[in-house]
Amino acid sequence: MPGSNLNSRQESLVSRVLLILAAVIVLALFLLVPLVTVFIEALSKGLDHYLSALVEDDALASIRLTGLTALISVPLNLFFGLTASWCIAKFEFRGKSLLLSLIDLPFSVSPVISGLVFVLLFGLQGWLGPWLSDHDIRLIFAVPGIVLATVFVTFPFVARELIPLMEEQGTEEEEAAVVLGAGAFRIFWRVTLPNIKWGLLYGVLLCNARAMGEFGAVSVVSGHIRGLTNTMPLQVEILYNEYNFASAFAIASLLALLALVTLAAKSALEWRFGVRRGH
Amino acid sequence: MIQVQNLHKTFGSFTALHDVSLDVAEGELLALLGPSGSGKTTLLRILAGLDFADTGSVLFDGGDATHVAARDRGVGFVFQHYALFRHMTVFDNVAFGLTVRPKGSRPGKKEIAERVHHLLSMVQLEGMAGRYPSQLSGGQRQRVALARALAIEPKVLLLDEPFGALDAQVRKELRRWLRHLHDELKITGVFVTHDQEEALEVADRVVVMSQGRIEQIGSPTEIYDNPATPFVYQFLGNVNSLECRVRGGEARIGDLRLPAPDYHGVEDAPGQAFVRPHDLLLSPAGDGVGVLARVLHVTVLGPVVRVELAVGDQVLEAETTRQRHSELKLAAGQSLRVWPRQARFFLKDGWPEGKGFEVGGELMGEGAGI
Repeated sequence: MPGSNLNSRQESLVSRVLLILAAVIVLALFLLVPLVTVFIEALSKGLDHYLSALVEDDALASIRLTGLTALISVPLNLFFGLTASWCIAKFEFRGKSLLLSLIDLPFSVSPVISGLVFVLLFGLQGWLGPWLSDHDIRLIFAVPGIVLATVFVTFPFVARELIPLMEEQGTEEEEAAVVLGAGAFRIFWRVTLPNIKWGLLYGVLLCNARAMGEFGAVSVVSGHIRGLTNTMPLQVEILYNEYNFASAFAIASLLALLALVTLAAKSALEWRFGVRRGH
Repeated sequence: MIQVQNLHKTFGSFTALHDVSLDVAEGELLALLGPSGSGKTTLLRILAGLDFADTGSVLFDGGDATHVAARDRGVGFVFQHYALFRHMTVFDNVAFGLTVRPKGSRPGKKEIAERVHHLLSMVQLEGMAGRYPSQLSGGQRQRVALARALAIEPKVLLLDEPFGALDAQVRKELRRWLRHLHDELKITGVFVTHDQEEALEVADRVVVMSQGRIEQIGSPTEIYDNPATPFVYQFLGNVNSLECRVRGGEARIGDLRLPAPDYHGVEDAPGQAFVRPHDLLLSPAGDGVGVLARVLHVTVLGPVVRVELAVGDQVLEAETTRQRHSELKLAAGQSLRVWPRQARFFLKDGWPEGKGFEVGGELMGEGAGI
C-alpha cells in the first residue's frame, strides 16, 4: 500500500508543521513580543531620555539596592543550600524528610504571603515588633527586611539543584577519601565540591535571577520609600503608576537584559554540564 | 593480626550480624563468602571503620580499634565500583592518600611522584598517569583503585567484591593477578565475594557466611570436602539434597538403606542427606547394586556428562565421565541402578521443619566397585 503510506507521511508532516507553528506563535506572543516591547518602549523617547532615566537618583538607588540584596542573599543561600544538600545527600538522620519539605516551602507559598509573614513577625505590631523597636532595630520597611524576604524566597534554588545531583553521585568517593586518611574539610574541598561545581553554578545563577527580580515578597516588606527601600522591580512599578512609561521601561530593560544574560549563561552551562534537569 | 569479637549489628529491624567472631592471621588472604544479605559486606565495612557495630569489638594487633575512625585505621579499601575520584587524573588519584597527610608526615613532591609511578608499574599501568578514570576500562580502573589503596602502605587491604563489576574474562585474570600481588607484597588481605569459585581459587582461608552468621571457616579444600552445615554443602558446588529417615544406625531414603554408624543411638528421626553429583555411581539395571532409577535427561558438557535421574518420586542429578556414558549407552528413558559412593547426613531438630542441624555421619559405599 505505497499510496496510503505516502498519505500518512504527508499527513504527519502537515501536523508536525502545524504543531511547531503553534508552539512558535505561543512563544512569540507570550515571550518575544513582551521582551521586544520592553526595549521599544524604553527607547521610545530617544536614547538620551533612556540614559538619563537610568542615572536619575531614585533609579540609581534602586539599582544599588537590588545589587546589594543579591550580593547578600545569593552567597547566604549558596552557603545554606550547600550545607543542607550535603547533609541530606551524604548522611542519614531523623527529620530528613522534614528538612526537605522545609526547603521546598518557599516554592509552595505565595511570595506575597512570605512577605506578609515577615511583617507579622517583625513589624511594629508584630510578635517581635516591640522587642525590636526597644532595641532600635528596623527590619520592616527597611533594607534588612528586604534582604530577609529575598533570602527566604530564593532559598530553595541552590539546594534543589544540588540535592538530586549529590544523591546521584552517592557517597563512595567520599568514603574512599575517608579511608585514605582525609579530614572532613579536605574531603569536601577536593572530592565533593569539584564534582558538583556545574550544578552549583547553575543554582547560583537561578538564585541570582530570582533575587534581582523578586517583586511580591519585597513589595510587602519594603514600604516603597523612594530612594531608600525600592528595588528595581518596585521602582518600575512606581514609575509606571506615575505614567512615566519610558523611564519605567528603561529600568525594566535592565531587568530584561539580566534575564537574557542569565538565559545565555544557563544554556552554556547546560551544554557544558549536559544531562537531565530535575525540575 | 585482626580479631573480631562478638560483633552484633542491626539496621532497623534487620539484623545484619549475629554475634560474629573471627581471627585474621597476619599475611593471609581471607575470603568472606556468602549470598547477598549474609552480612559479609557489613563485616568488611566494620573492619574498615566505615560502619560501626552495635556491640562487640575489633582489635588490630591487640589494640582496640572498635571506635577508631576510618581515617586513622591505616587500612586500604577497594570498592566494587572503584570509587575513583572522577575529576582527578590517575596520578592524582593514586597520590591522594599521600597528599592529605598532615604537613609533618607528608612526603615531598618528588617522593610522592616516585611512589606513584612505582605503584602504577606494579599494577601494570605505567603511562596512564595522565588519564582520567572515564578514559579507562573497568579492569584498569580497578587496578588504579588498588594502587591508590596501597599507596598509603596499609596494614591490611580490604576489598569489597572487587571484581563484581567486571566481565568474566577480566574477572578471572584479575583474581589470579591479585593472588600474585598478595604473595609478592605479603600484605594481609580480606575480600568479600559471592562467587565461590573466586573464593576457593584465591583465598588461603574462606569464611562462609549466611544470614549474619558464620557457617564455617576453613581452607578451600576443607570446606569443600567437609562442609559443616547443609548451607555450606548447598552453597559450594552442586549437591543432591534428599529427605531421609535415620533409624537404628541406618539412613533410609526411599528404598535405599545406607549405614549411618554415627547415629547408632537415634531411634527414629527425620534428616537430610547430601550427595554430590559425582559421588552417584551408575551401573546397569541388571547388576543389582543400588536403587533402580530412570534416566530423564542426559546433557554432555565437554568432558563431563550430567544425568538427570528419577528415583521413586525424587529427581537426582548425577555427574559422570564421557567414558562411562559410552559404556552405559546412557539415553532418556533408560533404567539404571544408582548408588552413592559418599553421602553425608544431617538430623533435623524438631518436627516438622528442621531448625538446627547436627553434623551427621558419613558413609563410604562398598557396593558397585566402580
